[in-house]
Amino acid sequence: MYPATSDTRNQAAMNFTLAVYAAPHASQSAATALRFAQALLRQGHQLYRVFFYCDGVHNGSSLATPPQDETDLLPAWQSLQAEHGLDLVVCIAAAQRRGVLSEAEAKRLERPAANLAPGFELAGLGQLADAVAHSDRLVTFGS
Amino acid sequence: MGKRSLALCRQAPYGNALAREGLEAVLAASALEQAPDLLFSGDGVFQLLPGQEPDGIGQKNLQRNLQALPIFDIERAYVCEHSLSQRGLSLDDLATGGPALHPVSDIGKLISSYDTVLSF
Amino acid sequence: MSLHIVSKSPFSSTALADCLTSFIEGDALVLIEDGVYALSGALKSQPVVGPVYCLAADAQARGLTIPAAVEAIDDDRWASLCTEHNPIVSWFR
Repeated sequence: MYPATSDTRNQAAMNFTLAVYAAPHASQSAATALRFAQALLRQGHQLYRVFFYCDGVHNGSSLATPPQDETDLLPAWQSLQAEHGLDLVVCIAAAQRRGVLSEAEAKRLERPAANLAPGFELAGLGQLADAVAHSDRLVTFGS
Repeated sequence: MGKRSLALCRQAPYGNALAREGLEAVLAASALEQAPDLLFSGDGVFQLLPGQEPDGIGQKNLQRNLQALPIFDIERAYVCEHSLSQRGLSLDDLATGGPALHPVSDIGKLISSYDTVLSF
Repeated sequence: MSLHIVSKSPFSSTALADCLTSFIEGDALVLIEDGVYALSGALKSQPVVGPVYCLAADAQARGLTIPAAVEAIDDDRWASLCTEHNPIVSWFR
């Protein structure tokens, strides 16, 4: 018998997808999602995808410059991505509305700048449906 | 896949973007033949009121998204009875021009029958 | 059975009330972010028919004490709860 503990490494690893609807610095939700992602990976679970939707697309902007004494979520997401090969997907339709564009999108839509941060990719809403189909668990971080 | 998913729609239309973006996610999943079931509860039942004319506030009519659902084989949607009565509404007050509406009294039991719940 | 996650104060949102109307035996409730303000009394007026957990960091951040009937948890325990329950239902707004 295993002792009662919050460590679940004894349990079977699961595949999670996180849906993040909230912009950083607007509410606590995006920061909570990041901490939850870190906890999952710490416990040996897999993150199939993090899908940034609604105002959550702002998490993928490289242009935010928060004051130095405030937590910057972007480098934390990027280092998780680099370390674990995370699939950080920003919904392209929600991103276009809110002005989060890749180089290719900026060129195609004739906008003056691109701001999608390295480590993130733009993709369609089908990636959320795909994640639902392929994950053991979906956790939504609302706005 | 055999996995069952539910879209839980709790937002009124127009006041915030989540009602629209929720239905857009449902339509996208449906186009890929992974249509979730739909449950309207809380202020989400206001999405189902007929006679919406949002031209005057510069918005697109959200009911067009509802009306598109049968094209993707979403023929029915669940509605929380408790949410309706809280708001002084009955099923007869609602019309979508889209999926048929089924009242549900025990939404906890309904929710627990799914593998995944998408909250909108 | 379902794991319900509530992230808004019961005094500003119907998130908790809506969650509790769909809460059935075997379900569990996790209070996070402003959802922890339910600790100050909202849960007494509407008792929950299952275990209630609260993110300790969120309660501590807000100067709240977690009553004995509610289990204080960290992020790791929250992640474990998500593996033990299905589906996971987020109630926000």
